[in-house]
Amino acid sequence: MNAKILMNPHPMTLRPSDTVATAADRILKHHLRHLPVVDAQGRYLGTFSIYSLLKLTLPKAVLDKYGLDNVSFITENIGDLAHRLDGRREDLVQDWLNIHEVAHPDTPAMEVMLLMLNGRTTSVPVVDKTSNRLEGIVSFWDVLEKLMGENA
Amino acid sequence: MHGSEASAASVLFGLNPMWVAAILFAITYIVVMTEKVNRAIVSLLAAGLMIVLGVLNQEAAIRGIDFNTIGLLIGMMVIVAITRQSGVFQFLAIWSAKKVNANPWGILVMISLVTAITSAFLDNVTTVLLVVPVTLLITEELKVKPYPYLFSMIFASNIGGTATLIGDPPNIMIGSATGLTFNDFAYNLAPIILVIMAATLIPIYFIWGRHLKATPEDRQRVMQFNEHEAVTDPRLLKQCLGVIGLVIGGFVFAKALHLEAATVAMTGAALLLLLANLGRDAEHQSKHVLEAFNEVEWITIFFFVGLFIVVHGVDGTGLLKLLADKMLALTGGNLTATSMIILWSSAILSAIIDNIPFVATMIPLIKAMAPTFGGPEGLMPLWWALSLGACLGGNGTLIGASANLVVAGFAERAGQPIRFIQYTLLAFPIMLMSIAISMVYLYWRYL
Repeated sequence: MNAKILMNPHPMTLRPSDTVATAADRILKHHLRHLPVVDAQGRYLGTFSIYSLLKLTLPKAVLDKYGLDNVSFITENIGDLAHRLDGRREDLVQDWLNIHEVAHPDTPAMEVMLLMLNGRTTSVPVVDKTSNRLEGIVSFWDVLEKLMGENA
Repeated sequence: MHGSEASAASVLFGLNPMWVAAILFAITYIVVMTEKVNRAIVSLLAAGLMIVLGVLNQEAAIRGIDFNTIGLLIGMMVIVAITRQSGVFQFLAIWSAKKVNANPWGILVMISLVTAITSAFLDNVTTVLLVVPVTLLITEELKVKPYPYLFSMIFASNIGGTATLIGDPPNIMIGSATGLTFNDFAYNLAPIILVIMAATLIPIYFIWGRHLKATPEDRQRVMQFNEHEAVTDPRLLKQCLGVIGLVIGGFVFAKALHLEAATVAMTGAALLLLLANLGRDAEHQSKHVLEAFNEVEWITIFFFVGLFIVVHGVDGTGLLKLLADKMLALTGGNLTATSMIILWSSAILSAIIDNIPFVATMIPLIKAMAPTFGGPEGLMPLWWALSLGACLGGNGTLIGASANLVVAGFAERAGQPIRFIQYTLLAFPIMLMSIAISMVYLYWRYL
């Protein structure tokens, strides 16, 4: 079994020029955790996810790789956090992308599962090796359904 | 000592050892400046070549390594590695910001002072690594530009580092090579450093400070920070402050106790490792000790090791003595003129090149001048000129000191990049002002 068999070939995607507000709407409405972002040619650019939304809610200073590892001294309430997220509604998703490890259509199933485990993600984008076009997305749920189906 | 060690080894192919050493030395400097090859690799390779090509033998090379500097650096790095986990630096930054009612200019002054004082006792890079993130958080909450704050922090870290024996690597090297103590540095440099710090804030006030404004609501958010929550481990904090107190006490009384700085720092590090690991089983101890050792900047340490060998090789051939004589001929053996040349050339060169190899080279060169100025005692103004020039010169450009680059890295990632030219246009004149103040001070106090 490989990624091509496991993947959903028609995932919901975002464009780099979409706003954070659009992305947040889709994430909430469809209960998706990860939305792949593709350019006009369908090439994979990165993923906008619930973690991107979490980042947008926090002060930039705590996100730096050498930033604060303890922020319990900040006494912001939910209103402050919401206010910050609201201020970034019109940001473009291209500025808040996570670059995930990708699979190719012929990547074996076990490798795809290892990518999920190591990347702490529930979905793996599947891209064409040469053109980098997004071919589909393998979600943890797809894999689990297939696995459970085998035993049924 | 000159020449005797060089003759102990036989130079390959009958080459002139002075030329071999000079060429290796020049190549080391140039390659380090290009930053194409990691500086530790460059200096270790050059040191190896010095020995392989027969400029000096291994025994002489090891004698050239200043283990007092190495021990002091490693000891302090271990102490800082453990202390930073306690959250004390975040505590200080927040506490100081609240002391001035989260007033934007007040915070800039306070953060600069915290940076300067911390840098005087700890490594500058560590200091900015710990204080910049809180500063960025505060400026974000206040909705003010972080640039003036980061600019001031660069200056504060290099200025503060100049004040004590342990504040900046050039001082550690000078102290170790000359036997000047912690107290000597504090007595001779700290007073003028206070003046320079205050003077530096004046242009910063006129350029940015008077325009910094924040709304009462935004200030209120910073006032609501609870600095006590920043201290993650109160027990560790007490242990760290206790050991740091002992270590500083050790430095102050080092002469009376007949102790070298490295002994004080390394013993302090060992004591803190012991206290922090009390009650942990063997496996956890190994993990924590290894973590602390991993925080030691081994690149810097090995860079020093290689560099000491290279400079010792060059020194052994008599080249530095020759350069010292040339410099004295230029100044006519006049102490004032020699001090001024050392001060200004150190400052300008340190703004462009790494001040560590520069100071490593200048130390034997200045020592060679002792007969002209009536023995080692007569060299005092020259050592202070070297220290002030080399440490403060680092402010002149973005590449003048490692701490500058660390701050620039934060700024870049925060989307507020510090541009090289833009920085230099303001920083270089302010740096020259600090050197001018140092010049007046040296002249007034020693010449």
